[in-house]
Amino acid sequence: MNEFISAGLIGVSLGAQYALLALGFTLIFGILGVVNFAHGGFYVAGGYIAYGFVSHLGVPYVIAVLLATLATGAIGYLFELFLVERIVEDHLATLMLTLGLYLTMSTGVLVAFGPESPQFQFPISGSLQIGKFHLPIENIVVLSICLLAIATVYLLMYKTDFGRALRALADDRQVAAAQGLRPRLLFPLAFGVACGLAGLTGALVTPILSLAPHVGDPVLATSFLIVILGGLGSIGGATIAAFLVGLVEAYSSVYLGGSKGALALFVLVLIVLVVRPSGLFGREVRGA
Amino acid sequence: MNVIKRNAGEIATVVVLLAAFAVPFLTEDPFVYSVANQIFIAVTAAFSVYLMLRMDLLTFAVPVFMAVGGYTVAIAGLKGGVTDSFALTALSFVVPALIALPLGILVLRLKGVYFVLVTFVLTEITQLVLFETPNLTGGSNGLVGMPPTTLFGLELADNRAVLLLAIGVTVAAAIITALVTSYHRQNFAAIEENETLAQSLGLVVWRYKVLGFVVAAGLAGMAGFSLVNMLLTAHPTSFSSSSSVNYIAYTIVGGRVSMLGPVVGSVLLVWMSNLFSNQGQYSQGLFGLLIIIVVLVARGGIVGTLANLVAFLKQWLRQDDNITAAAPPSALSEHT
Repeated sequence: MNEFISAGLIGVSLGAQYALLALGFTLIFGILGVVNFAHGGFYVAGGYIAYGFVSHLGVPYVIAVLLATLATGAIGYLFELFLVERIVEDHLATLMLTLGLYLTMSTGVLVAFGPESPQFQFPISGSLQIGKFHLPIENIVVLSICLLAIATVYLLMYKTDFGRALRALADDRQVAAAQGLRPRLLFPLAFGVACGLAGLTGALVTPILSLAPHVGDPVLATSFLIVILGGLGSIGGATIAAFLVGLVEAYSSVYLGGSKGALALFVLVLIVLVVRPSGLFGREVRGA
Repeated sequence: MNVIKRNAGEIATVVVLLAAFAVPFLTEDPFVYSVANQIFIAVTAAFSVYLMLRMDLLTFAVPVFMAVGGYTVAIAGLKGGVTDSFALTALSFVVPALIALPLGILVLRLKGVYFVLVTFVLTEITQLVLFETPNLTGGSNGLVGMPPTTLFGLELADNRAVLLLAIGVTVAAAIITALVTSYHRQNFAAIEENETLAQSLGLVVWRYKVLGFVVAAGLAGMAGFSLVNMLLTAHPTSFSSSSSVNYIAYTIVGGRVSMLGPVVGSVLLVWMSNLFSNQGQYSQGLFGLLIIIVVLVARGGIVGTLANLVAFLKQWLRQDDNITAAAPPSALSEHT
């Protein structure tokens, strides 16, 4: 029983991290129609920027995380503004463009920091005891920040004019533009916010998991899994699917071992894609 | 004459690859042999990407079918004792193609981005399957100790023979690609330009898509055979999901408009990534930059851009001729 609950807690905190990543990914697809292959790259960049500030400049970790979020957001904003914007109507071309950016980014990290994973520790450690359960403090901190960030994204998307404008553009770009919303202004901002989310996740999570130039690959694959399960472009679907994937991963690693759980998940996703391309909880958001 | 002109790219590709048979007889430099082997494997795999791009479908699934082809050959050699290179080449084409048939019927119902994502997921599944089936594939140890391949009973064991076999496989792959793309040129072009219109005009789109997918899988399988034959081992890391990006880069950077594109792209990019061989990890960054440049400013890749340039020069020269021949000097001065 003890094992069951602690695996569940790990699953929930994994799910929260995945949700942050998948939200950014699904926002970009829903609003711009762009599959962002560079999403894992922004996660890695977030981790390395935070690491750089902490270890080379002695900035406190909290501020370093904020700076990493802002920096990755700014990179995303500029990338959309100057490159993606020019071919935003062509799904295949934008996909290749973000793929190119991902390769360039991860090589950039490799050149700047080398192939070895650096020593990047979470500033607080120890564990909290509630009844019979030991909960690592860093997990709780990360979980709360992730939940806070997810709530902020929801507020941003559903309670502000910015969010309404973005959802209108996602719904029907022509009509929204005819009503006076300006994609030229809003697309780079949306891209920036989404990449900032990936950067934030990277800065928060890499000190606990691991930081290396190639850790973006599995992140990208997991983001794919989640947004396919939840329905490409759907915000609610991505959140639910993220927690689902987190829990499945945690339980299968405890009870099945090896990569059988991951294999089952991938096959499930394949079936979902073929039978119901709009995802488990989604409707067809965009006929890509 | 028209037939030759229309198929100029395909014919040129096959001729260039046939000419490559001279390479192993011109040099004995092991470095050249190693790079040449990598290039021919890359060309074969890039044909697979190229064939799918003819229908505007981007596929990440090349390593999936390379793995199927490679492991098929390894198992046939180890357990079945098959060493004849014709039989192995045929096996490496047929088995992946047979697996791709039901898979293609399922996944080709998806369009555009969704298809791309599914092929990406397939590469991840392949890795997991390879690690989870140690009895068949050797798991994380891979398969080693295959008997050397033979040609008419002769053992192909030395470096030169391995390279010759790689070239032969590539030529076969090129002929298959050329036949399929030139025979179905208009059908593929119709799907690439406007799938909905093609369908409403009576083209059975899914049939051509499945055909393309099956042949592309076979081509990838042949590349897998060459790779396993060169490395003397079938190992999961040879078919990693990140390697799919390389084959896409070869095709797009070389140019998706002509069959020469994948050849030019593979030769150039493999050669370049061997140039800074001790910093091979940086080559992907270079590929990334080149992809960005091609997507933004040179859609046709290297071959397409060169073709445009030649066409432009031709037209420019012709205009020049026309003006001096037809227009009187007075008319010219009026414009200027």
